[in-house]
Amino acid sequence: MGRTKAILVDITKCIGCRSCENACKQVHGLPLNEEAKLSATALTVIEEHGDRYVRRMCMSCQDPACASACLVGALKKTELGPVTYDASKCIGCRYCIVACPFNVPRYEWAKLAPTVKKCDMCYARQVKGQDPACVEACPVQASIVGWRDEILEEAQKRILLDSKYVKRIYGSEEAGGTSVFFISDVPFEKLGFGTVPAQPMPVLTANALGDIPTVVLVGGGLLAGLYWITNRRKQVALAEASSAELSEKR
Amino acid sequence: MARMRLPKITFWQTVVAIIFLAGAYAAYARFALGFERSTHLNDAQPWGLWVGLGTLCGVGLSAGGFAIAAAVYLLGFERYRQVVRAAVLLSFLGYLSVITGMMYELGLPWRIWHPIFMWNRHSVLFEVSWCVMLYTTVLALEFSPSLVEKIPWDRARKLYLQWHHNILIGLVLVGAVLSSLHQSFLGGLYLLAKGKVYPLWYSSYLPTLFYLSAVPAGLAATIMAVYLCNRSLKTQVDPIVLAEMSQIIAPLLYVYAILRGTDLVTHVGASYLWQWREETLLFWVEIAMFVLAPVVLLSRASVRQDPNKLYGTCSLVVMGFMANRLNVSVTAFQTSSGFYYVPKWTEFALTLATVTACVVAFHYAVRYLDILPRRLEENRPTWRRVVSPVGAA
Repeated sequence: MGRTKAILVDITKCIGCRSCENACKQVHGLPLNEEAKLSATALTVIEEHGDRYVRRMCMSCQDPACASACLVGALKKTELGPVTYDASKCIGCRYCIVACPFNVPRYEWAKLAPTVKKCDMCYARQVKGQDPACVEACPVQASIVGWRDEILEEAQKRILLDSKYVKRIYGSEEAGGTSVFFISDVPFEKLGFGTVPAQPMPVLTANALGDIPTVVLVGGGLLAGLYWITNRRKQVALAEASSAELSEKR
Repeated sequence: MARMRLPKITFWQTVVAIIFLAGAYAAYARFALGFERSTHLNDAQPWGLWVGLGTLCGVGLSAGGFAIAAAVYLLGFERYRQVVRAAVLLSFLGYLSVITGMMYELGLPWRIWHPIFMWNRHSVLFEVSWCVMLYTTVLALEFSPSLVEKIPWDRARKLYLQWHHNILIGLVLVGAVLSSLHQSFLGGLYLLAKGKVYPLWYSSYLPTLFYLSAVPAGLAATIMAVYLCNRSLKTQVDPIVLAEMSQIIAPLLYVYAILRGTDLVTHVGASYLWQWREETLLFWVEIAMFVLAPVVLLSRASVRQDPNKLYGTCSLVVMGFMANRLNVSVTAFQTSSGFYYVPKWTEFALTLATVTACVVAFHYAVRYLDILPRRLEENRPTWRRVVSPVGAA
């Protein structure tokens, strides 16, 4: 994978104006009501934790659990970094929602032909060279976008130069690394950030899937071998019985 | 004067009718009103009763078919031949119920064929879906002689049964491998949810544990089905065969308990075993029903050889197995999601109707086809009796 894009959210800068929410809803043609939590009609929201505003959205993992979970490959990690969703492939199994370590994807539970809804970092806009709508709308640059390595460098610089920051970049290690980073002056545990394993999630199932050839070859071979023995015994018994019969007749 | 006779309506017919009516309404609710009004599922609990009970238990309790077929055809356990057809039929119906369940479980069921053409080989669910498709086909073929042997056209029947005889060993072998794969991968699904699954149910050995628990549970379900046929459908399976089958269950449960116990103590920490929480209680309910009680009971010859007691013990195993699958799929997510999921009645109704349809189908198959040996005095004519030329394959 070449250079990918990433977003940095600086929680110390966010003023809670919700311009990002609004811009997101407008770009995606969603109803413009204010929502407190992520939903099928709110792909990014500002959550209030004490006097801090925490933006939530898809973390665009480097090695996404959802993309490895999706049995029809509707979810994809793009070359550019965003994780996209192709609704025309989706069969509605919802394994992506079970798998996501950040609890991001939402389902259209009220609809009769429901699909999954989640932020895709405005992939369509980024391909055209535009910034994600939420970043573009931010009046105080609490969210910035750029190449992932540069964004990560910027985050490191900020937390090193200013002592108010917690010395941690949320997203740099979580689930093997994401494309959305958070820095904050309040410990992340107090802001509703979950504890997420530090390894890329798909590794967890890759090992099991790697066992398939072994199970097929060893299991199949073993059973075939046992059948050969069973069959051989049966034939020997039959042959012995018929020869015994013959000698009796004589 | 001849009086008109109304057909007699029995208690069980009434129960079945009520279940089907409730199921019909639930199906209407699911398809005409949507998930929100027919289930209590939400983004915190995207998989509920339909996955936990319908899919996980449906597939797991159908493990008897591949186990018995492999024992008879590959390993030469001739004694079990008299129950192999019942075991295969039970599994076949079980898988049909799982596929039916998919039709209301999936959000877009009309796209159920997508995995055939749209592949993601990194997905455990992709492997499961292919195994279920292939194995259901294998089961249909394994079961087919029971129907085909009733065909009145001699040549067609003989041709088919001869062909079937030739491929049977291959079918059973492929079936055993496919079953081993997807029985374990159903547990593998939850590997990806590390950090969300409560530690008592998370293990990197989930695939192995799912496999090791499905086989004894599938055998127990088969014993229960055969017992019920003996009791009320005038079939005659030697109780000693059932007792022998039950002797396999306890050792399998031992292996399961040792692996799960060791893994819990070494990787999770024994402290979780006696924390004062709902999860701990449900864990011990599961372990008591699935492992502790059956292991003690099955070690007694007096239990194994008394069909009634054996039936009771097997139902414990099956219920304990169901408790395990529901714990993995529901209880284990309660703390991480912060949502206490209780299924809506329509969820119960649809699953119950699906299972009932299987029971009814099994009942009629045993009555009208040659699934199990019949009691000698019973010479009730079925729609057609033709002796299979290739034996009881």
